[in-house]
Amino acid sequence: MNLFRSEEHARRWSQFNPRSEEGFISLPELAGFFGTETRHHMLDANYLSAWFPKRAAERRAFLEQIGKASPFWLGTPSPP
Amino acid sequence: MADPRLMDQEFQRLMRSLVESGRALHYAELSKEMGCSVEEGRQILLAVMQAYPIGWLHPDTDYIASFPPLNSLPTQYRVTVRGEQKWFAQCGFEATSVTWLFPGTSVRVEAPCLDCGERMVVEMRDGSLVTVDPPGIVGHLNYGFGPSRGRPPFL
Repeated sequence: MNLFRSEEHARRWSQFNPRSEEGFISLPELAGFFGTETRHHMLDANYLSAWFPKRAAERRAFLEQIGKASPFWLGTPSPP
Repeated sequence: MADPRLMDQEFQRLMRSLVESGRALHYAELSKEMGCSVEEGRQILLAVMQAYPIGWLHPDTDYIASFPPLNSLPTQYRVTVRGEQKWFAQCGFEATSVTWLFPGTSVRVEAPCLDCGERMVVEMRDGSLVTVDPPGIVGHLNYGFGPSRGRPPFL
Protein backbone atom coordinates (compact mmCIF):
# COMPACT_ATOMS: atom_id res chain seq x y z
CA MET A 1 0.00 0.00 0.00
CA ASN A 2 2.54 2.45 -1.21
CA LEU A 3 2.88 5.55 -3.33
CA PHE A 4 5.25 5.65 -6.30
CA ARG A 5 6.33 8.41 -8.63
CA SER A 6 4.64 6.54 -11.49
CA GLU A 7 3.48 3.06 -12.46
CA GLU A 8 6.87 2.42 -14.05
CA HIS A 9 8.61 3.19 -10.78
CA ALA A 10 6.35 0.69 -9.02
CA ARG A 11 7.13 -2.01 -11.59
CA ARG A 12 10.85 -1.43 -11.08
CA TRP A 13 10.52 -1.73 -7.29
CA SER A 14 12.56 -4.73 -6.10
CA GLN A 15 9.57 -6.14 -4.16
CA PHE A 16 6.99 -5.58 -6.90
CA ASN A 17 4.61 -8.51 -7.09
CA PRO A 18 4.12 -9.41 -10.79
CA ARG A 19 0.56 -10.48 -9.92
CA SER A 20 -0.31 -7.00 -8.75
CA GLU A 21 -0.78 -5.33 -12.12
CA GLU A 22 -4.37 -4.58 -11.15
CA GLY A 23 -3.13 -3.00 -7.92
CA PHE A 24 -2.68 0.51 -9.29
CA ILE A 25 -4.96 3.34 -8.24
CA SER A 26 -4.78 7.00 -9.20
CA LEU A 27 -4.18 9.51 -6.45
CA PRO A 28 -7.60 11.21 -6.82
CA GLU A 29 -9.27 7.79 -6.57
CA LEU A 30 -7.14 6.93 -3.57
CA ALA A 31 -8.08 10.18 -1.85
CA GLY A 32 -11.72 9.31 -2.47
CA PHE A 33 -11.29 5.73 -1.29
CA PHE A 34 -9.66 6.86 1.95
CA GLY A 35 -11.90 9.87 2.29
CA THR A 36 -15.33 8.28 2.51
CA GLU A 37 -17.85 9.43 5.12
CA THR A 38 -16.66 7.35 8.06
CA ARG A 39 -13.17 8.83 7.71
CA HIS A 40 -14.59 12.26 8.48
CA HIS A 41 -15.53 11.05 11.95
CA MET A 42 -12.24 9.60 13.20
CA LEU A 43 -12.14 12.19 15.98
CA ASP A 44 -15.74 11.63 17.08
CA ALA A 45 -16.27 10.24 20.56
CA ASN A 46 -18.16 7.22 19.23
CA TYR A 47 -16.01 6.48 16.18
CA LEU A 48 -15.04 2.95 17.16
CA SER A 49 -18.56 1.77 18.02
CA ALA A 50 -20.63 3.81 15.57
CA TRP A 51 -18.51 4.63 12.53
CA PHE A 52 -15.75 2.08 12.11
CA PRO A 53 -18.18 -0.85 11.71
CA LYS A 54 -19.71 0.91 8.68
CA ARG A 55 -16.41 1.20 6.90
CA ALA A 56 -16.25 -2.17 5.17
CA ALA A 57 -19.53 -1.63 3.30
CA GLU A 58 -18.53 1.90 2.45
CA ARG A 59 -15.17 0.78 1.07
CA ARG A 60 -16.79 -1.93 -1.01
CA ALA A 61 -19.31 0.51 -2.47
CA PHE A 62 -16.56 2.95 -3.41
CA LEU A 63 -14.40 0.27 -5.01
CA GLU A 64 -17.35 -0.94 -7.06
CA GLN A 65 -18.05 2.64 -8.11
CA ILE A 66 -14.53 3.05 -9.51
CA GLY A 67 -14.54 -0.35 -11.19
CA LYS A 68 -12.32 -2.20 -8.71
CA ALA A 69 -14.73 -4.97 -7.77
CA SER A 70 -12.26 -7.84 -8.18
CA PRO A 71 -11.26 -10.21 -5.35
CA PHE A 72 -7.87 -8.49 -5.34
CA TRP A 73 -9.46 -5.23 -4.21
CA LEU A 74 -12.45 -6.51 -2.31
CA GLY A 75 -10.40 -8.82 -0.13
CA THR A 76 -12.31 -11.94 -1.05
CA PRO A 77 -10.55 -15.19 -1.94
CA SER A 78 -9.63 -15.55 -5.59
CA PRO A 79 -11.75 -17.99 -7.59
CA PRO A 80 -10.13 -21.46 -7.89
CA MET B 1 -15.38 -8.07 26.19
CA ALA B 2 -14.59 -4.63 27.55
CA ASP B 3 -17.29 -2.01 28.02
CA PRO B 4 -17.88 -0.43 24.57
CA ARG B 5 -18.06 3.03 26.14
CA LEU B 6 -14.62 2.58 27.66
CA MET B 7 -13.32 1.25 24.36
CA ASP B 8 -14.64 4.33 22.57
CA GLN B 9 -13.08 6.50 25.23
CA GLU B 10 -9.68 4.82 25.00
CA PHE B 11 -9.77 4.83 21.22
CA GLN B 12 -10.37 8.57 21.22
CA ARG B 13 -7.60 9.25 23.68
CA LEU B 14 -5.22 7.18 21.59
CA MET B 15 -6.17 8.90 18.35
CA ARG B 16 -5.99 12.34 19.90
CA SER B 17 -2.65 11.63 21.53
CA LEU B 18 -1.30 10.73 18.13
CA VAL B 19 -2.71 13.89 16.61
CA GLU B 20 -1.33 16.05 19.41
CA SER B 21 2.13 14.55 19.84
CA GLY B 22 2.79 12.17 16.97
CA ARG B 23 2.90 9.14 19.24
CA ALA B 24 0.29 6.96 20.89
CA LEU B 25 0.02 6.96 24.67
CA HIS B 26 1.15 3.86 26.55
CA TYR B 27 -1.66 1.98 28.29
CA ALA B 28 -0.30 2.97 31.69
CA GLU B 29 -0.65 6.62 30.71
CA LEU B 30 -4.11 5.96 29.29
CA SER B 31 -5.17 4.21 32.49
CA LYS B 32 -4.27 7.20 34.59
CA GLU B 33 -6.18 9.55 32.28
CA MET B 34 -9.21 7.29 32.30
CA GLY B 35 -9.19 6.73 36.04
CA CYS B 36 -8.86 2.96 35.90
CA SER B 37 -6.18 0.54 36.99
CA VAL B 38 -3.17 -0.05 34.77
CA GLU B 39 -4.26 -3.62 34.10
CA GLU B 40 -7.79 -2.50 33.22
CA GLY B 41 -6.29 -0.01 30.81
CA ARG B 42 -4.19 -2.74 29.23
CA GLN B 43 -7.20 -5.01 28.82
CA ILE B 44 -9.18 -2.19 27.22
CA LEU B 45 -6.28 -1.53 24.87
CA LEU B 46 -6.24 -5.18 23.79
CA ALA B 47 -10.00 -5.01 23.17
CA VAL B 48 -9.62 -1.80 21.17
CA MET B 49 -6.92 -3.33 18.98
CA GLN B 50 -9.09 -6.38 18.40
CA ALA B 51 -11.98 -4.15 17.36
CA TYR B 52 -9.70 -2.02 15.18
CA PRO B 53 -7.62 -4.71 13.46
CA ILE B 54 -6.17 -2.36 10.86
CA GLY B 55 -3.81 -1.18 13.60
CA TRP B 56 -1.32 -3.39 15.39
CA LEU B 57 0.87 -3.77 18.42
CA HIS B 58 4.54 -4.42 18.03
CA PRO B 59 4.96 -8.23 18.13
CA ASP B 60 5.21 -9.72 21.62
CA THR B 61 4.56 -6.38 23.29
CA ASP B 62 1.67 -4.12 24.26
CA TYR B 63 3.28 -1.19 22.46
CA ILE B 64 1.18 0.46 19.79
CA ALA B 65 3.11 0.40 16.54
CA SER B 66 0.33 1.42 14.21
CA PHE B 67 -2.96 3.17 14.77
CA PRO B 68 -4.07 4.23 11.32
CA PRO B 69 -4.06 6.50 9.65
CA LEU B 70 -1.05 7.44 11.79
CA ASN B 71 1.86 5.32 13.00
CA SER B 72 3.76 5.49 16.26
CA LEU B 73 6.53 3.52 14.58
CA PRO B 74 8.18 5.74 11.96
CA THR B 75 7.54 4.94 8.31
CA GLN B 76 8.76 6.60 5.13
CA TYR B 77 5.53 8.62 5.01
CA ARG B 78 6.44 11.76 6.92
CA VAL B 79 3.59 14.10 7.71
CA THR B 80 3.99 17.82 8.26
CA VAL B 81 1.28 20.08 9.69
CA ARG B 82 1.69 23.80 10.40
CA GLY B 83 5.40 23.52 9.66
CA GLU B 84 5.96 20.69 12.14
CA GLN B 85 7.03 17.24 10.99
CA LYS B 86 6.23 14.95 13.87
CA TRP B 87 3.81 12.44 12.40
CA PHE B 88 4.05 9.35 10.23
CA ALA B 89 1.31 7.75 8.16
CA GLN B 90 0.79 3.99 8.37
CA CYS B 91 1.24 3.57 4.61
CA GLY B 92 0.86 5.41 1.34
CA PHE B 93 -2.87 4.74 1.21
CA GLU B 94 -3.58 5.82 4.76
CA ALA B 95 -1.45 8.89 4.11
CA THR B 96 -4.33 10.28 2.06
CA SER B 97 -6.64 9.94 5.07
CA VAL B 98 -4.53 11.90 7.55
CA THR B 99 -6.13 15.09 6.24
CA TRP B 100 -9.32 14.18 8.13
CA LEU B 101 -7.48 14.38 11.46
CA PHE B 102 -6.50 18.00 10.87
CA PRO B 103 -9.63 19.77 9.61
CA GLY B 104 -9.13 23.17 8.02
CA THR B 105 -5.37 22.68 7.85
CA SER B 106 -2.94 21.71 5.12
CA VAL B 107 -1.39 18.30 5.62
CA ARG B 108 1.82 17.62 3.71
CA VAL B 109 3.05 14.07 3.17
CA GLU B 110 6.59 13.53 1.94
CA ALA B 111 8.04 10.14 1.12
CA PRO B 112 10.87 8.69 -0.91
CA CYS B 113 9.85 6.54 -3.87
CA LEU B 114 10.70 2.91 -3.08
CA ASP B 115 12.16 2.49 -6.55
CA CYS B 116 14.47 5.48 -6.91
CA GLY B 117 14.49 7.17 -3.52
CA GLU B 118 13.45 10.48 -5.03
CA ARG B 119 11.04 12.61 -3.05
CA MET B 120 7.28 12.63 -3.55
CA VAL B 121 4.99 15.26 -2.06
CA VAL B 122 1.25 15.07 -1.55
CA GLU B 123 -0.41 17.99 0.16
CA MET B 124 -4.08 17.87 1.09
CA ARG B 125 -6.59 20.09 2.81
CA ASP B 126 -9.97 18.84 4.02
CA GLY B 127 -9.73 15.85 1.71
CA SER B 128 -8.78 17.79 -1.43
CA LEU B 129 -5.45 17.37 -3.18
CA VAL B 130 -3.58 20.68 -3.15
CA THR B 131 -0.09 19.67 -4.30
CA VAL B 132 1.03 16.50 -6.06
CA ASP B 133 4.70 16.39 -6.96
CA PRO B 134 5.51 14.77 -9.28
CA PRO B 135 2.05 14.90 -10.87
CA GLY B 136 2.14 11.21 -11.88
CA ILE B 137 2.14 9.78 -8.33
CA VAL B 138 0.09 6.58 -8.10
CA GLY B 139 -0.98 4.24 -5.36
CA HIS B 140 -0.10 0.56 -5.58
CA LEU B 141 -1.45 -2.45 -3.71
CA ASN B 142 1.07 -5.27 -3.91
CA TYR B 143 -0.86 -8.27 -2.57
CA GLY B 144 -4.53 -7.40 -2.59
CA PHE B 145 -6.69 -6.79 0.45
CA GLY B 146 -7.81 -9.43 2.88
CA PRO B 147 -6.19 -11.66 5.48
CA SER B 148 -6.33 -14.73 3.24
CA ARG B 149 -3.37 -13.46 1.27
CA GLY B 150 -1.09 -13.73 4.28
CA ARG B 151 1.11 -10.83 3.35
CA PRO B 152 2.09 -7.81 5.41
CA PRO B 153 -0.64 -5.20 5.04
CA PHE B 154 1.90 -2.44 4.55
CA LEU B 155 2.89 -3.94 1.24
